[in-house]
Amino acid sequence: MGGHDDSGSSEKKSIGVANDVPTFNAENMQNNMKAVYYCRTFMCIIGGVVAGILGFTGLTGFIFYFLVMAITSVGLIAKAGFSIHSYFDSWNQIIFDGILGGLMSFVLFWTFAYDFVHIF
Amino acid sequence: MAADLVLDTAIRDWVLIPLSVVMVLIGVLRYFVSKLMRSSQLPDAKIVKEGQVIIRARNLRASANFIPSKSFRARKAYFSNEENGLLFVPKGQAQNPQAQMFSDPNMAMDMMKKNLSMIIPQTLTFAWVNFFFSGFVAAKIPFPLTQRFRSMLQNGIDYSTIDVSYVSSRSWYFLNMFGLRGLFSLILGEENATDDTQKMMQMSGFGFDPSKSLGAEKDGLDIIQHEWALPKFEQRAEATLRKLIS
Repeated sequence: MGGHDDSGSSEKKSIGVANDVPTFNAENMQNNMKAVYYCRTFMCIIGGVVAGILGFTGLTGFIFYFLVMAITSVGLIAKAGFSIHSYFDSWNQIIFDGILGGLMSFVLFWTFAYDFVHIF
Repeated sequence: MAADLVLDTAIRDWVLIPLSVVMVLIGVLRYFVSKLMRSSQLPDAKIVKEGQVIIRARNLRASANFIPSKSFRARKAYFSNEENGLLFVPKGQAQNPQAQMFSDPNMAMDMMKKNLSMIIPQTLTFAWVNFFFSGFVAAKIPFPLTQRFRSMLQNGIDYSTIDVSYVSSRSWYFLNMFGLRGLFSLILGEENATDDTQKMMQMSGFGFDPSKSLGAEKDGLDIIQHEWALPKFEQRAEATLRKLIS
């Protein structure tokens, strides 16, 4: 489950010209967001397969999903060197963005792996 | 809850895996087909020029505070001068957008192609799934659902005693349809089909009525309050450089 660390390498530092004026490069910011989105999707799929193989059912699986997302968030923050504001606008963008969007992917791969391992 | 069912492994080999593989392949195929069908229409030189002017004006507006006010005023005059500024549109010359729309049937054609490339594969796959794989339980969803979902997830199966989490292949199809979006964005890159439509909308909105957006941009440039953000940047640069040296 260390996959969230290597795909975030395309993050670029936005230019901090003045301390008091909020300055950022919109393209780089977008690139950062894209990197976060990729990491999340990747972790959704991997997490789904893992949850299916481990045979989680019901609420346990969803708890596992949010756990995986929390781990991803921590990994992304660690990747950003704990200085969020040089890469992102706010904490929300790195912690909460795209969590619900990946739920369908997670459920799909969870069902897939679960059926393969435990039902058939 | 009914006792655990044992599903035939043939269902896995001939329903579950082929369905997913086909969905993925159709997604990839649709991506490439829509890429091929995208007609590269040669845009009008005047429209392109106006678009570039708008982009430049927007850049100036976004980073106005990083240049001295004298430079800003010079640039502003260059853009929004009443006589020969770049953003100035002479009256009566503005094109009627409706007429433009009619004179350019390519746009509507493009839109239709895009929609067709979305709809046709979906209907075909759905018909295929309905025709071949209906009437039996294909998968089990690993979380419990309420009875309400029975008619949606188990249509074609007429046993009221089966647990609702056993679903038919049609629901597996829907699950694939929604869940594979993330996978597509991973394997096909950013230019996904869903993103494409949004981009399309932006593009068409962009070149749609250039004279109007020119006027809007001019107004935006006129009302901007200039305030230089870097009044002491020389001193700051000196300090930073000195710190570097020492």
